[in-house]
Parts: sequence; C-alpha cells; structure tokens
Amino acid sequence: MTPVPDPPPLPLAEVDRLVEELKKDVDRTLIRENLKLTVEERLIQLTRFQEFAEELRRAGRATFGR
Amino acid sequence: MTDFPGLLRALRKEKVRFIVVGGAAATAHGSARLTLDLDVVYSRTPENRRRLAAAIAPLAPALRGAPESLPFVWDERTIRSGLNFSLSTSLGALDLLGEVAGGGRYQNLGNDTETIHVFGVDCLCVNLDALIRLKRAAGRRKDLETIAELEAIREEREKTGLR
Repeated sequence: MTPVPDPPPLPLAEVDRLVEELKKDVDRTLIRENLKLTVEERLIQLTRFQEFAEELRRAGRATFGR
Repeated sequence: MTDFPGLLRALRKEKVRFIVVGGAAATAHGSARLTLDLDVVYSRTPENRRRLAAAIAPLAPALRGAPESLPFVWDERTIRSGLNFSLSTSLGALDLLGEVAGGGRYQNLGNDTETIHVFGVDCLCVNLDALIRLKRAAGRRKDLETIAELEAIREEREKTGLR
C-alpha cells in the first residue's frame, strides 16, 4: 500500500488569516473555567472526557452496530 | 484510552529526558479540546535512548497502524535507527518525537519549557508561546482550530492574570 503524502504546509500568511477568523468562534467561557483549574486538574478533566468519549463510542457501536 | 499519569510516571521512573508537547501540553495550558495521545519530544543522546527503551519496553509497545505481522523490536537500536515513533502501548497511545517541525530537537526546545508538577512527578512541558510557534510552523490544516484556541488562551491569560 502506498502511503498518502501529507499535504504541503500552508503559507504562514494564510495560517494567520485563517486563525484570526477561527478565533472568533472560540468558546472563551470554557477557557476561563479551565484557567481556574490547576494543571493536574486540567489533565484529570481530559482523562474523564476521554472516558466519556469512549463510552459514547461503545454505546454507538451497540446501537448502530458499527 | 490513554493513561496520561501512567505514561508520565513510566518515563520519569527511568529518568527519561523528555518534553510534553502536542495536545496534552495544550490541555496543561488550558485547552478544552480532546486529545487521545501523549506526544513528547525526547533527547537523542545514547544514555537517554537506553532509558527510553527501558521505560517503554514493559508497556508492550507496537507501531500504531502497522500490520501485526510486521516484526518490531523495541530497543535502543530501534530508537537509534528511527526518529519519530507513533506507538500503541498497554497505557495508551504515545508519540515519541526525536524532532518536531518548527522546534527542532530536544536541546533546541530547552528555553521554551516550564516544569509542571502532575500526578506526583515533575515534567518539562513546552510553554504556550512555543506551542503556538510549533503548531504554526507545521502549517497543518487540522491544527488551525487548535492554534486559534491557544492564541485565545494567551489573550485570556493576559486579560485575567490567570495561568
């Protein structure tokens, strides 16, 4: 099997333009809540989120058979 | 699922020299995005390669996405012959990077790190400015939303004084 090559990197000016656009959609309320946590609490939260995502995947497989 | 505390402890137990980068570093800085693996940049010195081999060997490492029939031996020689490894382990997905776009190697990132104390161990983590720089340099479309969030985190930090 031939590996699919990575697309060429975006030019920096294009990255800047797209990032400025996307920044408008960032949920800053979540960021502010996270900044109140310690680093360890943030990583624990990530682990719990992973567990939740895994449980959703399991439920999806059980329901839709994929 | 990735056992972040377990992987960090396994690396520290063998005194591996590494820097947390990628999504886990973004989480440490306040990102709300989900990441499924631990990315670290490791030092390529012979001593550190031996430590890395010893730290990961008990975790049944395998090349992620490679056919099971593909022979793979995890030892210092393999690390010396390669550079970046995407591994599945008994503690989850682990990306070991000898070099990272925009940041070079472990020794080049030395001034761009901060020590974080998590799960009972001290680890080096790439700082927020450097993380943004690395993601920008990679120029990957999939990173654009992450960069936007990281820049928003930097602005919120400046605004609120929170870290």
